[in-house]
Amino acid sequence: MKYLDLAPISRINTFLENVDVGDYIVHGDLEAYSCKLAGLDKKLSKSLDAEVQTGSSPLQLSKSPVGPLVESSSRKTLIYLILTLNHIYPDYDFSLLRAHHFCKEDGVSRAEETVDSHLLEVSKVWAKTPGLGESPFLECLWSSIDEAVVLRECDVYSYRSNMENDPFGETACVWSFNYFFYNKKLKRILYLSCRAKSRASAEEEESETVSKQYYTDDSDAENEKYGMANEMEV
Amino acid sequence: MSGIEIKSEKQVDDFILEVLRQHPEGCSQEQFERDLGSIPLQSRADALNRLLSKSRIQLFNRDGNLLYKEVSAEDAVKFRGLTNEELMLYQIIKQSGNTGLWTKDMKIKTNLAQPNIQKILKTLETRKLVKSVKNINNPSRKVFMLFDLEPSREVTGGAWYTENQFDAEYIEVLREACFQYIQRQGDTTLKHIAMFVRSRGFSKVELREEDILSIVNTLLYDGRVDQVDGEGAEDLDDHFRPAVHSIPATTAFTSIPCGTCPVLSECKEGGLISPQTCVYFDKFLEF
Repeated sequence: MKYLDLAPISRINTFLENVDVGDYIVHGDLEAYSCKLAGLDKKLSKSLDAEVQTGSSPLQLSKSPVGPLVESSSRKTLIYLILTLNHIYPDYDFSLLRAHHFCKEDGVSRAEETVDSHLLEVSKVWAKTPGLGESPFLECLWSSIDEAVVLRECDVYSYRSNMENDPFGETACVWSFNYFFYNKKLKRILYLSCRAKSRASAEEEESETVSKQYYTDDSDAENEKYGMANEMEV
Repeated sequence: MSGIEIKSEKQVDDFILEVLRQHPEGCSQEQFERDLGSIPLQSRADALNRLLSKSRIQLFNRDGNLLYKEVSAEDAVKFRGLTNEELMLYQIIKQSGNTGLWTKDMKIKTNLAQPNIQKILKTLETRKLVKSVKNINNPSRKVFMLFDLEPSREVTGGAWYTENQFDAEYIEVLREACFQYIQRQGDTTLKHIAMFVRSRGFSKVELREEDILSIVNTLLYDGRVDQVDGEGAEDLDDHFRPAVHSIPATTAFTSIPCGTCPVLSECKEGGLISPQTCVYFDKFLEF
């Protein structure tokens, strides 16, 4: 997967890295990749392709969130999703994921609603930021995404986190969402994700030097996941 | 001029190595000051740099102190040409022993940037100095450890995991084998069961007594074997024998609604929940 360095996207990605909205801090990622396989990605894609073919149940072969796995184009979609996650979160290895860890959204509008509602506070911060606030955040966001991958031609997918072994399950994550906008024709994938961390825990993290080996959710009093706002369907 | 000898570069190098040999655990800056005081600071610094670049000595960090150590000849080959950053990362991975270290923690400990760490790991992997391992508790994390180390049981899941998959078949095979043995013997101890299992070579990995005990315990909990105390004051081991009474499928109490009633504790005559008004009994008595 080749990272695409697009100026409007990078601008927003940098802004989203760390947005303090008061009650919580938003960490977001906005990155676009071209589905070009080279080197390690190519090797991994070959082995994944074989594993998915032999390891899938008959039900999955005929129907799965990424399409019938008996078809190579569906397997390719799954592989691109996995490779994108590997690139975005290099401390993790998502090659154990399979089709049932993802879900396909019914179109762009649902994703748009979710994103718009969650990033209201972020927009306000954007508006107050010198050098950025000339046009409204959400406008900039969607127009830059559209420029990169042509929204109306995209399939939209989302990763269903199990909240334990990945970046979405980190302590004190109040809400999170993630979307893949995949334009098959253009062979491009755009990834948009945001996680909100409660302020108190962010300050606690600064004094921690090394993360614990095993997560124990009970130890952190700030670890509240609001049912409604939590877009991750487990 | 007294006390100051002009030493050749080689002499200084050898002198430093000699000093380091006397401190095999590592030599701190202060130690150096004391032992090498006669050598001018510049020569010392040049020598240290020469030795570091030839990988004859290594630098590492312990509790915030910088220490120097001599590198053994075979290690020198492995480490030849590695940059200081690569060596530092190697040391940090070494410290994590057979648990391994997560790449995210590597970033925190070394303050190196992500792409840098990726590159260094690649170099170390090619040289067979480190390898990646999967931790059964967090299988999606990228963890690395020294190439020659065996991952600890906590990481691999121990005897019951083969290639990171829980090996249920293998456990079933062991269970049956243990049960047959206990049946044949009539009365035996854990030690004998363990000897039997090992002699049959069921297992490619070494099974410790505690592993075999956990197998026998599953038979115990299933009601297929009984655990009894040893005979006499001398025999402190537990003995196992085939179960005398098997756990019945149903008993009189479980056959009636009360045995499986979720609100049994609230049931009393005349109360809101009572035998007279019990809906479960109504259903039960419809025949």
